[in-house]
Amino acid sequence: MELTYEQRLEALCKTKMQQTREKQEVLLVMDQDDHGRILPSPEFREITEYMGPSGEMVRDAKLNNFKPKSNHPSGGFFGAKACGENFNLFLKAHPVYINPMSSLAGGYMAYFMGYRNPSWPPELASNLEDEQRKYGVYPGIGATQHFCQDMTIGFKLGWGGLLRKIRRYRKLNPEKSDFYDGLEQVVLGVQDWIRRHVEVAREMAKKEKNPTLRRNLEEIAEINEWLISKPPRTFREACQWTVWYQMIARMYNGSGSMGQIDVWLKPYYERESAAGTLTDEEAIFHLACLLLNDTQYYQLGGPDGEGKDTTNKVSFLVLEAVHRLKAPANIGIRVFDGLNPELLRRGVEIMFEDKTGFPKFLGDKGLVEGFVKNGYSVQLARQRVYSGCHWFAIPGREYTLNDCVKINFTKVFEVAFWDMMNDSEIKPSVDELWSRFKKHLHRAVEVTKEGLDFHMKNMHKVFPELVLDLLCYGTIEKGLDASNGGVEYYNLCIDGSGLATVADSFAAVEQRVEKEGLLTWQQLAEHLKNDFKDAENVRLMLSSVPRYGRGGTRADQWAIRIVQAFTKFVKEKPTPAGFNVIPGLFSWASMISMGQTVGATPNGRHAHAPISHGASPDPGFLRGGSAPTAMAVAVVSVQCGYGNAAPLQLDMDLGLARGEEGLAKVEALIKGHFELGGTMINMNVIDKKQILKAHQDPSKYPNLIVRVTGFSAYFASLSKNLRQLVVDRILEEET
Amino acid sequence: MPIRENLLLKRNNCTRKTLTPQTAKGTIFDIQRFSVHDGPGIRTTIFLKGCTLRCFWCQNPEGIHLKPEVMFYPDRCIYCGNCLLACPNKAHVVKEDAHVFLREKCTACGKCAQTCYAGALVLVGREMTVDEVVDEVLRDKVFYETSGGGVTLSGGDPIVQYSFSRALLKKCKKVGLHTAIETAANCQWKILASLLPMLDLVMMDIKHVDSEKHKKATGVSNKIILNNAVRLSKTKKPLILRVPIIPGFNDTKSEVEAIAEFVKEFSNLEYLELLPFHRLGEGKYKALGLEYSASNLAVPAKEKMRELSEAVKKLGIKVRGN
Repeated sequence: MELTYEQRLEALCKTKMQQTREKQEVLLVMDQDDHGRILPSPEFREITEYMGPSGEMVRDAKLNNFKPKSNHPSGGFFGAKACGENFNLFLKAHPVYINPMSSLAGGYMAYFMGYRNPSWPPELASNLEDEQRKYGVYPGIGATQHFCQDMTIGFKLGWGGLLRKIRRYRKLNPEKSDFYDGLEQVVLGVQDWIRRHVEVAREMAKKEKNPTLRRNLEEIAEINEWLISKPPRTFREACQWTVWYQMIARMYNGSGSMGQIDVWLKPYYERESAAGTLTDEEAIFHLACLLLNDTQYYQLGGPDGEGKDTTNKVSFLVLEAVHRLKAPANIGIRVFDGLNPELLRRGVEIMFEDKTGFPKFLGDKGLVEGFVKNGYSVQLARQRVYSGCHWFAIPGREYTLNDCVKINFTKVFEVAFWDMMNDSEIKPSVDELWSRFKKHLHRAVEVTKEGLDFHMKNMHKVFPELVLDLLCYGTIEKGLDASNGGVEYYNLCIDGSGLATVADSFAAVEQRVEKEGLLTWQQLAEHLKNDFKDAENVRLMLSSVPRYGRGGTRADQWAIRIVQAFTKFVKEKPTPAGFNVIPGLFSWASMISMGQTVGATPNGRHAHAPISHGASPDPGFLRGGSAPTAMAVAVVSVQCGYGNAAPLQLDMDLGLARGEEGLAKVEALIKGHFELGGTMINMNVIDKKQILKAHQDPSKYPNLIVRVTGFSAYFASLSKNLRQLVVDRILEEET
Repeated sequence: MPIRENLLLKRNNCTRKTLTPQTAKGTIFDIQRFSVHDGPGIRTTIFLKGCTLRCFWCQNPEGIHLKPEVMFYPDRCIYCGNCLLACPNKAHVVKEDAHVFLREKCTACGKCAQTCYAGALVLVGREMTVDEVVDEVLRDKVFYETSGGGVTLSGGDPIVQYSFSRALLKKCKKVGLHTAIETAANCQWKILASLLPMLDLVMMDIKHVDSEKHKKATGVSNKIILNNAVRLSKTKKPLILRVPIIPGFNDTKSEVEAIAEFVKEFSNLEYLELLPFHRLGEGKYKALGLEYSASNLAVPAKEKMRELSEAVKKLGIKVRGN
């Protein structure tokens, strides 16, 4: 019996749910995107544990049939050649995965990064650690990926073409042989991996009884035999090529950045659609299979270099594919004046219909106007596309370390506060506190910049970007890793975190201590030291000061002052080695781990509680509601303004978008925020009853998807702490 | 329930002399941004205190009286004792380990609420000038522009503080905002007429066409209200008429049809909106020390609302209902 695309997709989604459930059972907590990763079968599985991003132990499953070869006394492996060779061995050990229902072969099961032990050669230790720890800096030293390759290079060359390119340039740069060895090993590894899939697909086809699936397996074998060395010719082949690339990128060092899928698939779609060889239903199916393979970051629509909208039929098909899957996806619609209004409308409709926190919305105006201020052209700024949690990069031409480098404002505040209180020479005051905060923030920015230089100097010697390097302009040509001068542009990210906590703290001391005199500085210090023990009234007195986000409050003014000072310090000069740096505000899911290192704060926050999230006001900033427009206006007021994002996080009630009129109002909210200069909107559509029930027993709601910060995740997969944060936001809206 | 804010509106705290945007003051009990269920687009709704009706189901009881009031939420009290010290009238006492609020002693000076950081005591009703209100309204200006929204005066009933409402609307028009009012229109026509030039939209309640029933449920006859509705229908001002559907009062098909019949010929009627009764205001009654007479009422079923909407539609009237 023949199977329809609909039936096959249904079967694929069912398998995906089983795989997700298995991950939830085996790995327990996944405080990150729900990647498309499939667990290795028990005979290949080895469970390990390490400290996760929210400070809880994370369990991971490794392949037990791969052991890396060390080239260093520490037992680790470092440098291009060693990394390439080990990754090649890793791919050799990696099992084949073909789901006969899918039109695309492949599934990935493990992360290569987990085998890097130690991940940094001990002799290269930085001497900045103490100071960076003092200021709660996440320095990004040793951080990988977080920039974006250009997929069209791969589509043009195929794996064979890439191999030839590497060999051609190896001859021109013989002194770079170590780097070329590494790259070559990666390509050979993936070719071998694909070859094994071809063989298995053929075997499976022979045994397959169902005619649709047998044909599908034969096609998979044929397509992939071609793709071992040749570039993709068809829409389906381009999707299959993307699957191979995205899997090795994810496995090698966690990369999930992809960029403009609707732009690079457009020529294939148009050619075949015009020739009558590809129906929309088939195209949607291939896209759905691609999206099931992994939750990569894609941009839809938005201007090309000249400002013309790139929206095309493929943009809508991608939306439709995600809509049918109802699985986590990371897709952003780039909103600008020239955007096809139907794309935005369809995006908003799907947001409210599916309630999966997808898509997110990107503010072109603020992004472009900001990026230009770094000295780049408008054309280039428009080409900086969405490719990660809260970030953008110029595909194949820019190295960024986006989302890897953060300064914990609350830690800086804490240092400044105690620095002042312990200084017997002076009388504490808000002016004094502000001046010390600025002094320490300045130093925190400087020590972060020094750390960036340290990273840039050493990273290529440790763990170069062997997968992303393949699809960049200049890396192979020059024989240089992207972190080592291989690409054209270097704009390194520094994000601030915990803005609302600090702004509200300044406002609280200004009002309660200095203006009203309800508390002395010494009393405040004692309460903070004791974490407000037996002083709930004092804590409430401090926390009830009008907060950042309400508009026109002291705290609103403090938030702006803090961001202005931060932006000034980041932008006043490049790193000592001359790299441009761009400020933004984002905390990813690090609000919990960052909060754990900070004692009680004068905004009434308890010691070690999470800090505020990115640019967002603290939940409850408006008593009796959380007006999205109030948040939207507040978040605009604290944009750093150089092209990196400070996202607006909105949990929207399902009832808000009732009917045509409701959808138009949500659209107006999005457009208004971007008109004012906002850069990104992450939206959750919340069914309150559902989420509260799910919090009580997450296992009963394995399907529930929430947008946590920059990413969507299955609610049941999140740690209890992170779930609590999501739930708190929703409860605040109810009171 | 005694009606203090009577038809003559003698208590209006705003006289002609004070009518500048800097000095004209109104008593506001809430300003709600991103108000999306009342009128077109994204709006900011200003809730003014004072109402001429005493509907037994009222969902904003804190808006009924013109003067400020203290709301008390005992669950939030942390027994810090601040209010005991702050109150000049000893309205707060601790009896048998419980915080007791002697409302009869309260003059709503707000001193207790000011020191109640736990939020157990909240003063509703703050005096604001026209400029202060407009400043807050303008924060969302861009969203009015992208959505075709604006500002809505609600309450209570904005006609109670009509001079302030007029000054506020005037300023809103001056800064280019779309303006709307939500009113029961239980006032002299000249009051309503004086607001009309500054209004782009009128949203008016009609609760019943039977005067006796109306009086029993709301404390006042509907004579003036219906007259005003007819007069409004003769203006060109866009008009939305709204009917709160209250079980046992006006939730039969014939009662809703009678209202529909009454408004059928209104040429400026945008649509008739049926709003189902809900009990979300119940907690506020308790906090105000009031009895909630609608506690036994059931929320109308969706099916019921659909049936009533259909009945109105059959008469050729555009209808919205939830």
